Amino acid sequence: MADNVEAIQKSIKWYFIIGGLLIILSGATVGLSYVELPTHSLNILVGMILATIKASMVALIFMHLSHERSLIYKMLAFTAALAIVLFTLFILAHEDPLVFPGFYAPVEQQ
Amino acid sequence: MDIPYTVHARPDTGLYNAKIGIWLFLASEVMLFGGLFSAYIFLRVGADYPWPVHDLDVKLGFINTVVLIASSVTVLMALAMLKLRKFGWYKINMALTVLCAGVFMFNKTLEYKAKFAHYAVRLTDGTMLTGHMPKDKDGNTIHYQVKFDGVTELTLSVPLKHTAVTADPVGYVLPFIEGTAPKFKTESGQEITLDEASFETLSAEAVKKAKAENKGTASIKLVATAPIKLAAKPSEIFAYTDTTITFRDGTTATGKLTDDKMTFEVDGVDARGVAQSEKSLAFDHRYLGEAWQKAFVENRDHHIAKFETDYPTRDKSRSATLQKESLFFKLNSAEPPAAGAPHGDAHGAEAHAPAEGHGEAHAHHPTVVLEKKDFTFFSNFTPKLNTYYAIYFTLTGLHGLHVVAGAGVLLYFLVFDGKRMRQDPEHLANRVEVGGLFWHFVDLVWIFLFPLLYLL
Repeated sequence: MADNVEAIQKSIKWYFIIGGLLIILSGATVGLSYVELPTHSLNILVGMILATIKASMVALIFMHLSHERSLIYKMLAFTAALAIVLFTLFILAHEDPLVFPGFYAPVEQQ
Repeated sequence: MDIPYTVHARPDTGLYNAKIGIWLFLASEVMLFGGLFSAYIFLRVGADYPWPVHDLDVKLGFINTVVLIASSVTVLMALAMLKLRKFGWYKINMALTVLCAGVFMFNKTLEYKAKFAHYAVRLTDGTMLTGHMPKDKDGNTIHYQVKFDGVTELTLSVPLKHTAVTADPVGYVLPFIEGTAPKFKTESGQEITLDEASFETLSAEAVKKAKAENKGTASIKLVATAPIKLAAKPSEIFAYTDTTITFRDGTTATGKLTDDKMTFEVDGVDARGVAQSEKSLAFDHRYLGEAWQKAFVENRDHHIAKFETDYPTRDKSRSATLQKESLFFKLNSAEPPAAGAPHGDAHGAEAHAPAEGHGEAHAHHPTVVLEKKDFTFFSNFTPKLNTYYAIYFTLTGLHGLHVVAGAGVLLYFLVFDGKRMRQDPEHLANRVEVGGLFWHFVDLVWIFLFPLLYLL
């Protein structure tokens, strides 16, 4: 966070703008969740896109990640990579289930 | 010794140390919640029941979202005011942040409380009934209990070898006996009251006898001097038949089953698991009956017809929303609505209303008395009900703990760091910034939790 008075006052203005935007976007998320899109997966996709936008706003403005020292970015790059690995592991586990037709008995007997 | 770099940045990193610390911590938190969000995805794709959508109280969830966003702004304001050396405003903003955390947790308590009091019963044909256990006139919940009368004989068994189950009548039998402590006659004709001491003597005798006779288990027979009444929740006993009841310590009692019916105030019939929804067991003449069945069919057909006009090209069976609106029928009055009563709009609005009633909102629902043979499972809306509620309580519970912890840290700065504020405000500003970063992270998690659990 900047230390001179003008910069602080300017950022205060931004905090309120972003706070307001977050509330509006939350309202939009609620509203859109009641709209019957062709599939429910689309509803989930739209909801998650909105949530990601909101999360980015919090991270960039509220958590000051829009202007941070390079060390923090390096640490977060590791976190992001590990988080991606974590989710990938889950997807791999899901795509390779332990039980599938024919695992316990020949398929034609089922 | 002073801890270095608490106020000014380290020349090589350009950061004061606590900031690196909090970001490392937040990185580990990302992995913690990442694991749980992965579990959510896993449970959701693997669910063998309709995943609840809009079943939680959306209004309360939205209020909490706004409250958390507001608190994120106030914690930033507190930091800015501290940097501007406006200490009064700093304190006000910190107090507002902690207050917001309090409001958030209060709302969470309301939500949890409603869940604990709300029940679901699965009927044998796959119908899920939702509703509440009845209350007595003092407002106490009457829980479902299995009742026995005329119990005269208790058989306790004490294994000679160490096993997982051994007779413990004081812990597992006595709590379910109604009325005053009964008196028993032992096999030797002695009259006793059952308690720790008398049970100790009895079992010592029985064990001695069993050893002499070379048996593996010592059994103690007790005959009550007057017939006993028993009442227990099914989860508190092991099993029962029409004439015997087996407690969790292996003790059996013989008597007569007088009541194992469940009185239930139905506020919803979820027929999504039934092949022919209108033939759901819930509409049996012993239960909700024909008039409710008619209302159900009317509501179902109304929603299907509306869907057909609104989305003529879409596949009806693939719309989870339609399935829910047409087959998860909400009962909002004690009596079935009169035939042809305008309910289209009412149901339209109702579908958007929370499924859970708060406090007294559920006062008027039809009451049914379910026979034991007609239901297979019942639970309140807790992790035991299904995987959705398991992950809901895990995620919101852990998030709630974060809210409490974050608010605790901020409250500590507000209350106990007054001296630092006057003497070294820049140091306090760094502390507040770090506490604030954690607070924003808590907000960030909620941004994903709210849509995933409440909306989608």
